[in-house]
Amino acid sequence: MRTGLARDLGIGLLCLVALLALPVLFPHPSLRDFLIYVIAYGLLAMSLNLLVGLTGLVSFGHAAYFASGAYVFGLLMQGGAVSIPVAMLAAVGGTALLALVIGAICVRLKEIYFSFITLAFQMFIHSIILTWVELTGGDQGLRGGIPRPPFLGIDLGEAGTLYGFCAVVFVLCLLVMRQVWQSPFGYTLRMIRDNPARANFLGVDVVRMKLGVFVLAGIMASVAGIIMALFVSGAFPEFGFWTTSGEAIFMIMLGGTQVFLGPVIGAFLLQLLNHYVTIWTHHHGLVLGIVILAIVLGLRRGVADYAAAWLAERRAASRPAAVPGPAETPAPAETKAVG
Amino acid sequence: MLSVENLHKSFGGVQATRDVTLDFPAGSLTAIIGPNGAGKTTFFNLISGHVRPDSGRVVFDGADVVGLSSLEIVRRGMARAFQVASLFPSLTVREALTAAVTAHQRRSWSLLSRFPLGQSRARVEELLELLGLAPKADLVSSSLSHGDQKLLDIGLALAMDPKVLLLDEPTAGMGPDERWRMIEKVHHLWQARRLTMVFIEHDMDIVFKYAQAVHVLKYGAVLAQGTPAEIRRNQDVIDAYLGTDHHLAVATGEVPA
Amino acid sequence: MNLDVLAGCVTTASCFVTQVSTGLIVGMLLFLVASGLSLIFGVLGVVNFAHGVFYMLGAYFAFAAYEVTGSFILALLAGAAGAGLLGIVFERFFMSRVYGRDLLMQLLVCYAAILICDDLVKIVFGADYKLMGMPESFAAAPVEVMGGFIPGYYIFMLAMALGIGAVLWLGINRTRLGKIIRALAINPQMVGALGINTRLLYAAVFGMGCVLAGTAGALAAPVRTLTPGMGLSVLIESFIVTVIGGMGSIPGALVAAVLIGLTRAFGAIGFPLFTDGLMFALMGLVLILRPSGLLGTRTA
Repeated sequence: MRTGLARDLGIGLLCLVALLALPVLFPHPSLRDFLIYVIAYGLLAMSLNLLVGLTGLVSFGHAAYFASGAYVFGLLMQGGAVSIPVAMLAAVGGTALLALVIGAICVRLKEIYFSFITLAFQMFIHSIILTWVELTGGDQGLRGGIPRPPFLGIDLGEAGTLYGFCAVVFVLCLLVMRQVWQSPFGYTLRMIRDNPARANFLGVDVVRMKLGVFVLAGIMASVAGIIMALFVSGAFPEFGFWTTSGEAIFMIMLGGTQVFLGPVIGAFLLQLLNHYVTIWTHHHGLVLGIVILAIVLGLRRGVADYAAAWLAERRAASRPAAVPGPAETPAPAETKAVG
Repeated sequence: MLSVENLHKSFGGVQATRDVTLDFPAGSLTAIIGPNGAGKTTFFNLISGHVRPDSGRVVFDGADVVGLSSLEIVRRGMARAFQVASLFPSLTVREALTAAVTAHQRRSWSLLSRFPLGQSRARVEELLELLGLAPKADLVSSSLSHGDQKLLDIGLALAMDPKVLLLDEPTAGMGPDERWRMIEKVHHLWQARRLTMVFIEHDMDIVFKYAQAVHVLKYGAVLAQGTPAEIRRNQDVIDAYLGTDHHLAVATGEVPA
Repeated sequence: MNLDVLAGCVTTASCFVTQVSTGLIVGMLLFLVASGLSLIFGVLGVVNFAHGVFYMLGAYFAFAAYEVTGSFILALLAGAAGAGLLGIVFERFFMSRVYGRDLLMQLLVCYAAILICDDLVKIVFGADYKLMGMPESFAAAPVEVMGGFIPGYYIFMLAMALGIGAVLWLGINRTRLGKIIRALAINPQMVGALGINTRLLYAAVFGMGCVLAGTAGALAAPVRTLTPGMGLSVLIESFIVTVIGGMGSIPGALVAAVLIGLTRAFGAIGFPLFTDGLMFALMGLVLILRPSGLLGTRTA
C-alpha cells in the first residue's frame, strides 16, 4: 500500500518534470499552448473517465462542469474582489454544488437514460449561458479578459509561470484521481460498474456512491475549466456545448478507459488531430466524424487499452504457466438495454 | 431467526406467492423444494427485500422487515447467493471478496486509504481458505470454472457475515459428482459458521441427506413441511413430483413444464 | 418575468387562442420526433442520439425539393423518404455494428453521424439560415377563432401529426406486422426462429423512426428557419417528452409533447428566460414522482 502511494508520487513527479522540461527543451511558444490544451482537455477526459471507465456511467453532459468552473472563476476574477486561489476554490465549490443537484436526479437513471439526461442538463446549462447575457455575455462569452493579479509572489500574467502553474495543478489533480482509483471507494465503484444489483445485495448504497463519484468528477472537470479560462483569459459558451462533451468521450475511447492515464493519451492524440485538421480544412466536424467512425468500427478500443492487452498477451506467452496478475481487464460489453 | 407469515404476492393477476407461512429457527439448515414455477425464487426475492409483498409479514431477527430496502435488509444480516452466479467479472477473486468485506465493514467510502485495507485482509484470507479458492485468488472472476463461480458467489454473501444465508440452487448446472462436492462444502460452511441457512434444491437425494427441515412449495403455496423423513412419505409431495398432478397439469397446459 | 403579461394573455381570448395554436404545433413536431425515438428504443433497445439529424435532413430535403419542384406534397415526401432511406443506411452500415457493444461506442457512432451530417449540410446548403416560405396552397387567410387567428397551415400540421400518430398506433397495436414488431422487442430469437429476417426488420423499424423525424422536419420547414445543427434542441426536447410521457408509449408521447409545446408557447410570454428551466423542472418532477413516465409502463 505504502509502496503503491510512493510509486504514484514518483511517477507524478516525473510527469511534472517532463511537462516543465518540454517547453524549455523546445522553446517554441506554440508547443506550450498545445500542451496547455492537452492539460485542460486531458484533465476533463480523466475526470469523465471516473464516471465512464471506473463506474460504468456514460455521461454525455460532462462539459457542463467544465463550463461552470470556467465561468464562475472568470466572473469572480472580473469582479475583482478575490484572489486567484479563492476564486478557484469558489469555482470548484460552486460546481460541486451544481453537480450535486443535477447528479441527484441523474444517478437514479440507468445506462442510456443516464447519458441522455446528463446531455439534457448540459444543454440547459448551455442555454442559461446563452440567454443570461448581462451576466455571461451570451454567445460572445466573458469578454474583456480575466485579470490575473499576482498572489503569494506568483504572477500568472507571465506566460511561463502560467504554464508551470497549470502543470502543477494538473499533476496534483492526477494524483488525487489516482488515489480515488486505488482507494476502497474506487474498488466499490468497480463493483457498481460490473454488477450494480449484486453490489446492492452486498450492502453497497449504489445510488449514493454514484452521486459521490458524480460530484467528484464534476469537481475535477471544473479545475480543467479553470485552467482553460486562465489560459484563454475568457470563458465561452462552447465550453459547455455538447460537442465538448462528445470530444471528451472520444478522447476517453481513443486513449482507453481501463488504463489510468489512457484519457490523457486520447486528449493528446485528439489535440494533434485537431491541430492538423484545422490547418487543412474548414470542415472540422466532417473529418473528425470520419476519424471517429474509423476508430470505433475499426480499432474497436482505445490505444492504451490496446497496448495493455498486447503487453499482457506477450507476458502470458512468455510465462505459459504463470497465473495472470490482478491486471485490469476491460469491463464486459454492456448488454443491449432491454427492449 | 426468520419467519414469514401469510405472505402474498401476485404479478398482474398471477399469484406467485399465496399465503405462505414458514419458520426458519436460528442455526437451522432448511431446504426449499418444489416443481418449476413453484415460486421459490420469488419467495427469496420477497424476504430479501428485492420485491415487496402485497401483504404478510417477514420477521427477521425479531423485527418486521417488509418495506425495508434490500440494502437495509442486507445490513441487518441477511445475505443471498444466486441461481446464476452474480459476480464482478473484471475483478479478481481476492479483489471481489475484499471489496465485499470492505462494504460490510462500512468502509466503501474510504477515499484517503489504499485498497485493500489492512483491516479486511484477515477476513479475506479466511474466506479464501474456507471456500478453497486460495490458489485461484488472483484469477479474474469471469475466468473461473462454473463451480468456482458459484462458490465465489456464496463467498461474497459470506463476506457480509450474515445471520441468515439464502442460497438459490447452489448446485445448479453441475454434474453429479460436482453437485455432491458443492453441497458438502455448503454443509461444511453451515457447520463452521453456525448460521441459519436456507437453500433451494432440485436434487431430492441431496435434500434428504443434508437438510434438517424441508419446505415444499407448489404454485406459490406451501404444499408440505417437515423433516426429510416426513416429506419422503408425504403423499401430496409424491404426487406433485412423481405423479399425476404436475404432469397432467403440464400436459393440459395449465402450467409450464 | 412578465407574469402580468402572461395573465393578460390567458384572459384575452385572441391571445390565448394564438398561443395555444403555437403550442400545439410545437407539440406536434415534438410528438412526431419523440414517437420515432421511442419506437426505435422500444424495438431495438438503442437510443438514437443522432435522431435530430434526421429531423434536420427532413427539413433540408423538403426545402430542396420545394425549390426544385415548387410542390409542397413532393417536398413532404422527399423529406420523409430521404430521412428514412438515410436512416436505413445509417442503421445497416454503422449502428448495427455496435449493437450489444459498450454504450460508449453507440454514443460515439451517433456523435460522429451528427458531426458529419451537420458539416455536409453546411457544405451543400451553406452555413447561413434558410427560409422555405409558406407554400401557396396555404396562403389563404388564417381562420379566425374567438378573435385569434390560426394559420391554415397550423391546422394542416395538426391534422397530419395526429393522423400519423393514429396510423402508427393502429399499425403497432392492430396489425400482424405490428404484432411481429412487438414480439421483436421482447424476444428477437423467437421471431428469428419463425423464419422472419430480423435484421431486415430492425432496419425497417429504424427507418420508420427516421421517417417520423424526417416528416416532422419537412412539416416544420415552412414555419421554421433552417440551420445546420437545428436537430439538437429538437432531440433534447423530444427526449424530455419521452421521459415525461413514458418510454414506448405513443399516447404518453402525445400528452407530454402537447404539455411541453404549451409550456414553451406560454413560457415565451411570461418568463422567456425560465422556459427551459420549467421544462427541466417538469421532467425532474416526473422522474422523482413517476419514474416510468405519465403513461409509461417501463421504469427508466
